[in-house]
Amino acid sequence: MFTLVIGGAASGKSEYAETLVQRLEGRRVYLATMECTDEECESRIEKHRLRRAQQDYLTIERTARISAAPLPEGANVLLECLSNLLANEMFSPVGAGGKDLWKEILELRGRCLHLTVVTNEVFSGGADYSEETLDYLRLLSESNRQLAQVADRVVEVVAGLPVFLKGEELP
Amino acid sequence: MIFVTGPLFAGKRDYIAHALHLTEEELSRCAVWDVQDLAAESDDLNALADRLCQYSVVIATEIGGGVVPVEEKQRRDREAAGRLACLLAQRADTVIRVCCGLPQFLKGTL
Repeated sequence: MFTLVIGGAASGKSEYAETLVQRLEGRRVYLATMECTDEECESRIEKHRLRRAQQDYLTIERTARISAAPLPEGANVLLECLSNLLANEMFSPVGAGGKDLWKEILELRGRCLHLTVVTNEVFSGGADYSEETLDYLRLLSESNRQLAQVADRVVEVVAGLPVFLKGEELP
Repeated sequence: MIFVTGPLFAGKRDYIAHALHLTEEELSRCAVWDVQDLAAESDDLNALADRLCQYSVVIATEIGGGVVPVEEKQRRDREAAGRLACLLAQRADTVIRVCCGLPQFLKGTL
């Protein structure tokens, strides 16, 4: 089963995605994608790490080339998050450009029991950006749309509450 | 009139063309898009909304979700875009928000 969770900054999308993963069977795997470059992301990572510590996750850090991430059999994977991963693919020396990111995610899906992908709603603040940022937004929105099309469930999280754009809440 | 709104690059045009079984060219004959830019140039939003109602499909991009812009012109344009969206939604039979290429019906049906 494949779920896409989208939301704005601090909308509660991570917490919602975690509650979803807890209700699914399989070995819980957290695919962390953030490249740590300063104290701010270190403290952000630490916050997420502490929350997951009680939830029995195997954490795998992978900042690019996600389809080749090592996974155990029958994994119930939470990938957080697509927007970070795309930024790494586009702007980091380890990246491959990001054009095929959504295809890589689909490859990854084929290797999981369940895959839950968290992505960001960053498209409602106008288009007054540099060409580089617009390229990023175009690729991120394309990935979001391609993944939404094949997902079993697409959930927009608003103020911590799920709005189902596709599919239904788990029983 | 069908009013379609949603974030930037969300697949609004593709969605509504597909839903109405129209080719891109057929859609371009009965639809108008990027009306948020028209709002910025208008000094009478009610008249603009009335005029846009002559199209079967009116499409706008949501631009009001960021921080208030520092520049006054940008603040005014953003305000006008938001107000125009409200006026269009009032006049529309159907209002659809498209996010990630998926529709949410906010008013009416197709």
